Amino acid sequence: MANASGDTGPIRSELAGDPDMLELVQTFVDELPVRAAQLTASLEAGDRDGLIRLAHQLSGSCGGYGFASIGDHARRLERELNESDLSGTLAEVREQGDELVALCGRVVV
Amino acid sequence: MDETGNNAVDSARHRVLITDDAQDVHRLLGARLKQERLEFLNALDGEAALELARAEQPSLVLLDLDMPGMDGFEVLRHLKATDETHDIPVIVLSGLQSPADKVTAFDLGAVDYVTKPFDLMELRVRVRSALRMADLVAMLAQRAHIDGLTGLYNRVAFEERWGQSTAENQRHGKPLSLAIFDLDHFTSITATYGHPAGDEALRTFGRLLQRECRQSDVPCRFGGEEFVMIMPETGPDDAANVCNRIREELAKIEWPAHPERAVTVSVGVLGATSPATISPADWIQATDEMLYAAKNGGRNRVMTSRADKADQKLRSAS
Repeated sequence: MANASGDTGPIRSELAGDPDMLELVQTFVDELPVRAAQLTASLEAGDRDGLIRLAHQLSGSCGGYGFASIGDHARRLERELNESDLSGTLAEVREQGDELVALCGRVVV
Repeated sequence: MDETGNNAVDSARHRVLITDDAQDVHRLLGARLKQERLEFLNALDGEAALELARAEQPSLVLLDLDMPGMDGFEVLRHLKATDETHDIPVIVLSGLQSPADKVTAFDLGAVDYVTKPFDLMELRVRVRSALRMADLVAMLAQRAHIDGLTGLYNRVAFEERWGQSTAENQRHGKPLSLAIFDLDHFTSITATYGHPAGDEALRTFGRLLQRECRQSDVPCRFGGEEFVMIMPETGPDDAANVCNRIREELAKIEWPAHPERAVTVSVGVLGATSPATISPADWIQATDEMLYAAKNGGRNRVMTSRADKADQKLRSAS
C-alpha cells in the first residue's frame, strides 16, 4: 500500500491488480516526471497560479489512478496555496511542494 | 456482461460529453465507464463544451467545476440558458467538498454531483441513473404528444405544428391547407354497437389517415371523433383531392362488428397558396365552418374554401 510519509520506497498504484486500468496507470506514471518537473519549475519561479493549477490537477487525478496518498498531498498543497492570499507565502509551501515532487518521483506501476 | 441488462441503460448507445481541463480525467472516465457502452465526446474547456453540447446533443454532460477560464458553474449556467441544451442532464464533478458548491450546482440545474477521486461503483450508478431518467423524460415528452387510442399526434402536438406551419405560410407565402374530419353520426354508432365499436371506428380511421396521407402531411386526433390534418406545401384544391380519397376509402370499409352499417366522414378544408389573410386561430375556426357546411350539406362530403382571398367561394364535392 502506498505510504506518503516516512519511508522512501516505491509507491505503487492501488489499482495495479486491475487489468482494465493497467495501461492507463502506466500512461499516467509515464507522464508523472513531466508533472514533477513542472512543479519544480513553478516552485522555483514563484508561480503561485501555475502551482495551484498543477496541484489541483494532481489532486483530481491521482486518486483515480490509485495514488490516493499523493492526491491527498496535492489537495493539501492546493488548499494552503488558496488560503495564503499573498505571493510572499510561497516559501512556506516550498517544503510541501518539494515533498510532492519527491512523492511523484517514487511512483512505479 | 451487460446482456442480461438488469441495470444497464437500455436502447442505443448514449453519448456522454466529458468536460474537464485535465486530460487524465478524460482517460480515467473513459476507462471507468467502458462497460456502460457509452460514446464519449471530450471537451477540455468550457467554450468547447458549450459548442459540442449544442452541435452534438449528448444524452448527458459530466462537468468539472474547477476549470481555468470559464468555470463549471458558468458552463452550467450557459447550458441551462440555451434552448438547445436546456434539457440535457448535467452531473457535476468536483474535488471541492464544500456543501455550498453542491447547493449552487443543483440550483443551477445539475441533476447530480460526484466528488473526485471517483468511486468506481458510485460513478457508474450515478451515470446510469441520470441516463435512465433522461430516457424516461424523453419518452414522457413523446407520449405527451401522442394520442393513446390512435397513435396519431394529439391536440397538443397539433397546436405546436400548426403554429410552425402558419408561420412558414406567413413568412414565405408557402402553400398550406388544413383539413378537419368528423366521423358522421358517431354517437349513434357507439349508442347502437357499444363503445368498443366506436373505438374500433376511431382506430381504423386513424390508420386510414396515416396510410392515405402524404409524407409531409401531419394527421392528428383533435379530440372525440374529430381529426385534423396539416397539409404543408398544399393548396386547397390538392388538399380537397387527398381528403376526398380518404373519405371514399373510409366509406368502402366493411365493419365486422356492424356489417350493415358503413362509417362515413365529413370534411372541412381551408387552404392557401399565398400568405393567409386570417390568423392561425381564425383559420381553424373557418375550417370548422367548412366542416359544418359539409355536415349541413348531407354529410359524407368535403367542403373547401380559401384562407388567402376575400371571396370565399364554396365548392362541394361528394
